[in-house]
Amino acid sequence: MDLEMVKYLAELGKLEFSDQALEKMADDMTDIINLMDTIKEFDVEYDALKDNHNVNFNDLRHDESKPSMSTEKVLSNALNSADSFVVPKVVE
Amino acid sequence: MSDFPKGLAQMRTALDQKQISARELTEEYIKSIKAHDDKLKAFITVTEELAFSQADEAQEVIDKGEAKLLTGIPLAIKDNICTEGVRTTCASKMLEDFVPPYNATVMDKLNAQNIVMLGKTSMDEFAMGGSTQTSAFAKTCNPYNLECVPGGSSGGSAAAVSAGLCAAALGSDTGGSIRQPSAFCGVTGMKPTYSRVSRYGLVAFASSFDQIGPIADSAEDCAVLLNQICGFDIHDGSSTHESVPDFTAKIGKPLDGMKIALPSEFYAQGIDDEIKQSVLAAAETYKQMGAQLIECSMPSLKYAIPSYYLISSAEAASNLSRYDGIKYGYRHDKAQSYEELIKLSRSEGFGDEVKRRILLGNYALSSGYYDAYYGKAMALRQVIREEYSEVFERCDAILAPTTPAVAYRPDEQVSDPVKMYQADFCTVTVNIAELPAISTPCGYNPNGMPIGMSIIGKRFDEQTIIQLADAFEKTFVKTQPKL
Repeated sequence: MDLEMVKYLAELGKLEFSDQALEKMADDMTDIINLMDTIKEFDVEYDALKDNHNVNFNDLRHDESKPSMSTEKVLSNALNSADSFVVPKVVE
Repeated sequence: MSDFPKGLAQMRTALDQKQISARELTEEYIKSIKAHDDKLKAFITVTEELAFSQADEAQEVIDKGEAKLLTGIPLAIKDNICTEGVRTTCASKMLEDFVPPYNATVMDKLNAQNIVMLGKTSMDEFAMGGSTQTSAFAKTCNPYNLECVPGGSSGGSAAAVSAGLCAAALGSDTGGSIRQPSAFCGVTGMKPTYSRVSRYGLVAFASSFDQIGPIADSAEDCAVLLNQICGFDIHDGSSTHESVPDFTAKIGKPLDGMKIALPSEFYAQGIDDEIKQSVLAAAETYKQMGAQLIECSMPSLKYAIPSYYLISSAEAASNLSRYDGIKYGYRHDKAQSYEELIKLSRSEGFGDEVKRRILLGNYALSSGYYDAYYGKAMALRQVIREEYSEVFERCDAILAPTTPAVAYRPDEQVSDPVKMYQADFCTVTVNIAELPAISTPCGYNPNGMPIGMSIIGKRFDEQTIIQLADAFEKTFVKTQPKL
């Protein structure tokens, strides 16, 4: 895998690497993709109709109002101020 | 701890008959943790104070004659299961200071039983790995040889059970993360059918594979623990409505007529001879107990590793996008812009293996590669499921090695990601096909390192694999680690 592709994937994942780390990651990813490439020899198509027959994905909670987690708890693991999350200035 | 009650049933009796109090039992385990965990590093957080207060509460319940099966039993919990008010790190710098404001559903269920939580156990970072060496805080050692890895990702839980630092533990299994460390550490670990145990409050890695399960000294203890954590949960959209039977119900029943399949791919090149011989010897033991052995082949298994790694990494890349340094988790404190805040927080908060999985997942999902990688991996998932279904038309369970080799020294494998991924060959297909499986010790190599075998069952048929594991365990003499 070339460095440009690793940079592109890192951007998608919002990650940054030093030049040295990028080269090491490119080497690792080349080996990993070589292993992944073995599935290309298997001639089979995905059939969406076969999937998820055994799992209930449609259980929704009843449309009832219930007390939710307190704002204090929601903010307890964040840098916060006046009941809100704090981020660097977004608008110039 | 020589006259100490062993096994959950014996502990229950000892507590109920007042031979030992919940506080005394807790004290014994805390003493063991203090004596051995400096070198073992099984725990990231030991919750001593909480444990004693829970023990006192449990004792009140016992004194009133209202004890449930796990009341007063000291357990360890993998550090990716949310525990309200108790730090849950996922062994990552990203969550080093994260204190969950809520409990995972399994913790609510265990707390309703008045368990005693001894602490949170180490693991590979975000459960990505098979050695517990990617943990940012505690690189756990194997109790049978401190120079070897305990396996992973639930290496802390398996090592803690093996070394007698807890009565039993919870782990999580995405591609073998309960079974493989259980095999390396000579204990019993069970991955239930996908959807049996609620994933609510389990820090997500790969949501279509992740499943919480027990690690204990025996199949029976796994069943007792599993009985308390299963069941439908509205908070988990993939949770099943399937009724929860008593998982101990078939224990002790004869194996006459039981059919056990041995797929040839699990006994082929790449699996060490000492492992094959031990598992095949166990198969002979089953034969002597009245079971019938069936030879079969599952050709698609050779593609299991890429299928598993492509799907799980794609899901991980998506799941881990929530870590932005804003709502919770590690935050780079000098970022000048929103974009920089997210990038620097993620780059400094995640370790190398987590970053590799994010890149692989993004590669598999990106335009131009989706069909060739993610699409093909999903197609293979269907083929692997079908092959399992075909085999299960002819048998009640499948017997396979849990690992291709015994526990190794970190420098032999950990730095080579491809070698690490290939080592998961024996376990990942169970997660791909959403099946239940249990790993139990079946031998030791000449250096005394444990060998584990896996019994794989039909969907929702945990009872049969527990019955089979228990039947073998009653014939097998375990060697305890010397710490």
